[in-house]
Amino acid sequence: MNLLALPVLIPLLAGSLLLLLPNRQLRSLLAFFAAVLVLVCELIILQNVLSGKVLVLQMANWPAPWGISLVADILTGIMLTLSGLTGLLTVLFASSSLQHQAHWGKTKGLNALRERYGFQALLQFLIMGVNMSFLTADLFNLFVAFEVMLIASYGLLLLGNELPQLREGFKYVIVNLIASAIFVVAAGLVYGLVGTLNMADIAFKIAEYTAVQGPDARIRLLAMLLALVFATKSALFPLGFWLPNSYPVPAAAASAFFAAMLTKVGVYSLTRTFTLMFPEETFIKTLLLVLAGLSMLVGALGMITQSRWRHAFAFANVSSVGYLLMGIFTGANAGLAAALYYLIHSVLVIFCLFLIAALAERIAGLKFTLSGHLNTYPYLALAYFIAALALAGLPPTSGFIAKYALIASLLNAGGGLHTGLAIAAVLSGFLLLYAAMKLWRSFFWGEAKVVHKVALPAGMKLITGLSFGLMVLLAVFAGPVYQVSNRAAMQLATNQAYLEAVLVRIDGPRIGDEPKPLEQDGLTEEVN
Amino acid sequence: MPKGLKPDMEILLPLLAAALVGAGMFLLLARALIRVILGLALLAYGVNVSILLTTASPEPLEPPLINMPGPYADPLPQALILTAIVIGFGTTALLLVLSLRAYQVTGTDHVQELTEKPDPVELVVSYADPETPSLSPEFAPKEDALEDKKGNAKS
Repeated sequence: MNLLALPVLIPLLAGSLLLLLPNRQLRSLLAFFAAVLVLVCELIILQNVLSGKVLVLQMANWPAPWGISLVADILTGIMLTLSGLTGLLTVLFASSSLQHQAHWGKTKGLNALRERYGFQALLQFLIMGVNMSFLTADLFNLFVAFEVMLIASYGLLLLGNELPQLREGFKYVIVNLIASAIFVVAAGLVYGLVGTLNMADIAFKIAEYTAVQGPDARIRLLAMLLALVFATKSALFPLGFWLPNSYPVPAAAASAFFAAMLTKVGVYSLTRTFTLMFPEETFIKTLLLVLAGLSMLVGALGMITQSRWRHAFAFANVSSVGYLLMGIFTGANAGLAAALYYLIHSVLVIFCLFLIAALAERIAGLKFTLSGHLNTYPYLALAYFIAALALAGLPPTSGFIAKYALIASLLNAGGGLHTGLAIAAVLSGFLLLYAAMKLWRSFFWGEAKVVHKVALPAGMKLITGLSFGLMVLLAVFAGPVYQVSNRAAMQLATNQAYLEAVLVRIDGPRIGDEPKPLEQDGLTEEVN
Repeated sequence: MPKGLKPDMEILLPLLAAALVGAGMFLLLARALIRVILGLALLAYGVNVSILLTTASPEPLEPPLINMPGPYADPLPQALILTAIVIGFGTTALLLVLSLRAYQVTGTDHVQELTEKPDPVELVVSYADPETPSLSPEFAPKEDALEDKKGNAKS
């Protein structure tokens, strides 16, 4: 299935071309076409995996445990589609928002510079890295995909050279480099211990080993290292300190994509690690479950303390990662399905909130302390109000469905810990609601002290409207989407389809066989 | 740990990796940006040595070529290390430029002082004044003075 390589190759080509193009319109056009093409490919992939197949591409036709495989099951299909949708909207939003100058203060003239120095190209490379990390079925290739993604994100974060960017960018780079170093060590040790880097093969060999030998401390150590790395990337509570300050500093389009997708890559990797490779590590899973509950609360509390748009939503992002991981590590299929629905919801809502923040920052600067914008910007107020309800989890939004399913699955799982977490989830929902309404009161509500109207670029408004529409569609089509996430969860729970698709080939050897001796034809004689 | 590695190397190589990682961590905790960067580089070297160790062998092995009789050396860890080195090279270069730029902008390479520089929070002064209704900046007279202020908190 060569289709699987396209979501990686198209952004790579487009990004490289974008660096060469001299003209802003051409760049916007090319970036747009690339994003549309990628989205089409990803929709075709999604359609294919929904028919029950697991798509596999063995790179260069090397059989599975030796070559690098790209694999797509339903979870991958969902993630790819989300990345394609938010990627397309981000590209469009960037073309619009970077074209028009920000009105206030120092950021004047900055956006044009950002566009001039490769914003769109970096965005394509970022999308490439994100797609590659969703598709790859090889641990070391996952590391490479993370690095592609992170290096592009360093570029986007630092583009503009503002003081906050330099300061937070430095922390961001350092934290991620340390995590990457741990990731390399973990990958190397996995290879040393298990003898393979293919995730399916690792899963198979570890299952075989533990079935005979019982649990092994070395395997737990490896699982712990990987959990540490991915928890750092997904900003889980004690490791997520870098996120709330660093995500608000780049250009608005970049922060929206960061918040929507980058932490979800970490969440995706954690899901793969603990459903596929290390399904038996219950201790680490419980640990992650507790930390997820804590980060849910910390994110919500953090959001209350903030007085700047994107800082507040960055904390909301931390909280949503907590909800997500809580569902994933509940240990029940229902929890996983709820978490996957929550994942779709969270990507769309956080994305929409960051776009709203971008518009609001155009109106009144980085803070939301000036009241009375309800009359001047009624549609923005409406969009924010619905998105805030979705964030907090009130009906009739998708947030309610997602959180209801999550909490119900926690209560069904029973046990003191799960009940406590369910209570924490409800509490955190109320805290989020309070924070969101505090923002509402201080920006939209109240008496308008100044008559003030800024002409917002039509493109930015349109894209925000589109992302808002996606969020509404998710609530309207909650039934079908929930069924898809249910099927994805079933597929993750057994892994049978995944393992069979990756490791068995028509003409290749089966896993566990000794590799066939290489045929010594012609070549040997030629050398001799 | 590979079987039968010669005892001296079996101790020396992990010690080397540990020393590199330890030195790297020590430098990472320093307050000067350049030390942090050097610490990361050392950390990466320690990591590479430890990966090399995972499939090390005491016997001289054949390179994995078809016409060699074997047993073959495992080339994969070296490929991993090569990739990691290339990526580390790129990120170190980026970090050096970043710290240089941070030094140029702030005049310090000390982490604490860098953190204490406040954000230039953008709230336009004329906007907060209820007496004068502000115009959209598109219609307002152009002023480039705001662009010159670097790093000054205004709120």
